[in-house]
Amino acid sequence: MTAALEITGLVKRFGEKVAVDGVDLNVPQGSFYGLVGQNGAGKTTTLSMAVGLLRPDGGTAQIFGADVWADPTRAKALVGVLPDGLAMPERLTGREVLTYLGLLRGLPPEVVAERAEELLAVLELDQAEKTLVIEYSTGMRKKIGLATALLHAPRLLVLDEPFEAVDPVSAATIKTILRGFVAGGGSIVLSSHVMALVEQLCDHVAVIDKGGVAAAGTLSQVRGSQTLEDRFVELVGADDGEAKELSWLSR
Amino acid sequence: MAVALTMARMKIAIIRNSMTGQRAGLITLGGLLGVALAVGTIALSLTGPELLGPAYAVWMLGWILGPVFAGGGDETIRPEFFAPLGLPPRRLAAGLLAAAFVGIAPVISLLALTGLAVFGIRQGVAAGLVALPALLLQLVVFVLLSKVAVAVFGLALRSRVSAIAAGLINGMVLALLGQGWVFAVAYSEAGGVPPVVADVVRAVPSGWGLVAVESAAAGRWGRVAAALAALALLAVLLLAAWAVLLTRRVGRARAATGGRRPMRATTATGAVLGKETRTWSRDLVRTHQLTFALAYGVFFAAIPLLMGWDQMLPWAGPIFILMAAAMSANIYGTDGTALWLTLLTPRAGDVRGRQLAWLLFVTPVALALTLPLTALVDGPWPLVLSIMFALLGGGAGLVPLVSVYGLVPGIDPHKRGGNPLRTTEDDGSATGMMYAMLALGLLTALPAGIVALRYGWAGVPVGLATGVLCWWGLGALAARRLRGHGPELLHLMRTGRRDTGAGTMARYEDLPRRDQAIVGLCMTLCPIALFPQGIVPGVFKITGVDSRAWFLALYLPSWAQWPTIILMVLLGVALGAASIHLLQKYRRRPDHAEMIERARHSPD
Repeated sequence: MTAALEITGLVKRFGEKVAVDGVDLNVPQGSFYGLVGQNGAGKTTTLSMAVGLLRPDGGTAQIFGADVWADPTRAKALVGVLPDGLAMPERLTGREVLTYLGLLRGLPPEVVAERAEELLAVLELDQAEKTLVIEYSTGMRKKIGLATALLHAPRLLVLDEPFEAVDPVSAATIKTILRGFVAGGGSIVLSSHVMALVEQLCDHVAVIDKGGVAAAGTLSQVRGSQTLEDRFVELVGADDGEAKELSWLSR
Repeated sequence: MAVALTMARMKIAIIRNSMTGQRAGLITLGGLLGVALAVGTIALSLTGPELLGPAYAVWMLGWILGPVFAGGGDETIRPEFFAPLGLPPRRLAAGLLAAAFVGIAPVISLLALTGLAVFGIRQGVAAGLVALPALLLQLVVFVLLSKVAVAVFGLALRSRVSAIAAGLINGMVLALLGQGWVFAVAYSEAGGVPPVVADVVRAVPSGWGLVAVESAAAGRWGRVAAALAALALLAVLLLAAWAVLLTRRVGRARAATGGRRPMRATTATGAVLGKETRTWSRDLVRTHQLTFALAYGVFFAAIPLLMGWDQMLPWAGPIFILMAAAMSANIYGTDGTALWLTLLTPRAGDVRGRQLAWLLFVTPVALALTLPLTALVDGPWPLVLSIMFALLGGGAGLVPLVSVYGLVPGIDPHKRGGNPLRTTEDDGSATGMMYAMLALGLLTALPAGIVALRYGWAGVPVGLATGVLCWWGLGALAARRLRGHGPELLHLMRTGRRDTGAGTMARYEDLPRRDQAIVGLCMTLCPIALFPQGIVPGVFKITGVDSRAWFLALYLPSWAQWPTIILMVLLGVALGAASIHLLQKYRRRPDHAEMIERARHSPD
């Protein structure tokens, strides 16, 4: 079976710095795939290259067999993306953003209207009908971003830090939606540095460190008998494993 | 005092870190221009002291308005940096003020103000001595006026009414400055500064220092004390006002909360159009820009009425179009990283939608200005109409094109701090882009204008044709660039750095320092020589426009004018070619590092 997302030998250099150095990933169809790593490990760079938002210096990315760079129209129709911290059409309301994007995606207007209505209700954004996105809180921005990613019913979701700054109630809603998406045959790749969350949601995991893949596979393969957090610290952690304390803070 | 010193030191450090490469070249060039203006002002104190008052009024206007056009002024040290410290507003303002005196602009203004001292010494020792405190106080008032203006402006952009009012006032004042020749003519006709003007420039704060010095020369010590005290008092009041305004500096430009009509588009381009028209009408920064363009066009065309000349009136519309294009020159940059959505929907026709929206806002206003005003003065219909159509199409084509090719990374709208004018970190480039747009926009009107001058009405179909061609062709070019380089543009917006792979030219940063400076200087001077000093005066001569403005060639005896124009064009081309040659010389290839190494050690 073709992989939902197949990344081969992705490389990205920024000047002298090699941000991503030959990353290979295979996200099977129907899997819930977690990408964990420290800040600056190369998660966002990898995901950006995988969905066509950043041009790699080497390597390929295929979404259900469609090459993101050679066949972008087909590849991009199959994927829903939630990037971290990027702007939206800020002077539109949530519903207008969804209408706008649905039409850009080529959906019929009545389908767009119907799905927008449902997404806003499920994500509890319908209260803010008159609010422009620029006035949204960080959590609301994540939710409207997720709605734009889901709108065209993609078969793969690529989510960069989807739970950052999201309140626990909204997080529970999002988790339910994502689990339902996977249960319905969809595939998800998400990045996070919250290990407990990845353990709770994902069935596959890859540890990204210094631009490369330190470990990848099913959750049980990667963590073995340890918790994911212990295994993670072991893989990427500090030299002696002991966290340093600030002497002047304890009395 | 400690706070003030620390902030000043911080600013010195930041300036030192940012003086690299092209930026350093631009700053140096700007500094040299400023010094030239300052020396000119000092020269006035020797050759034409009666012009000193008007000159300082212009300096003051520059301080007040400059920041409005240079992206919200000097924000090297921002109040937000110190928010967690909990400083009392006065101390914060005093510290920021100290930092505000560190920089090139205050030094240049100080130099210009030494004209007061020169003027004073020529009147006597006492007047010379009075000039010292006067010029220092004057500088403090200038800097503070600038800060308060920016702060007031930031508040103004929170409601639609005040955004429009600010746009009107700014457009009017800039048009006044742009039409300075009217005052020059008035000056020569009246055989000196008209008494009204002389009174006004002494009544406004920029003239108080001059009043003090003049009064000292005349021995009227009461007036000296009053003028100096007034300056000091104004400085204190401005500082207090600024301190209060700093505490108000929260949040961003509020979006207008008008009616929310549902989006009824049914196609992708229709959706882009819907998004853009909403952004134009809801974003107060854009509202301000359009109002500014409108006010500029109207006042620029109306000011010559003061001289009894009404033939400028029909041009209000075309000038508005040109200004509106210049204001939209960085349209992709101001939307920031929202570009990612465009990249994920490759076939959606983003460029066409933006072009339509721009035309939708600009065309009705242009028509509403041009038709009645041309009818009113029975102006040159064929010429005006052909240029208007050519400019509409030219602007609609150039706006997306210039924006994707010259993209200046903007600050994402939701991350803009308390200063809504600041849409980019790189306001030098953004301003340069505006000028480029003005020059390119003029070029698109050239064919239609020439045909209309020669053959009258034949110009109108030519204008329509070039307009449609520009709209369609330049738009297609922009769309192609967006498809081909979308990820690079997004990266530039995300990080502020260009992500160019191996290409036909070296990256600017790859050049050795010496060549960076040369390329920076060439790239800056090339367009100046080519367009305003070469092509534009050439066009003026061909079309018989009777204005010399700042075109060197037109000030020379007539036999030297054409050679100068040709020389300027050649110079511009040569400068451009030189920088391209240098960039190609260091083209990225395996051995380029070695080449650079060699160049660093070469004897020349």
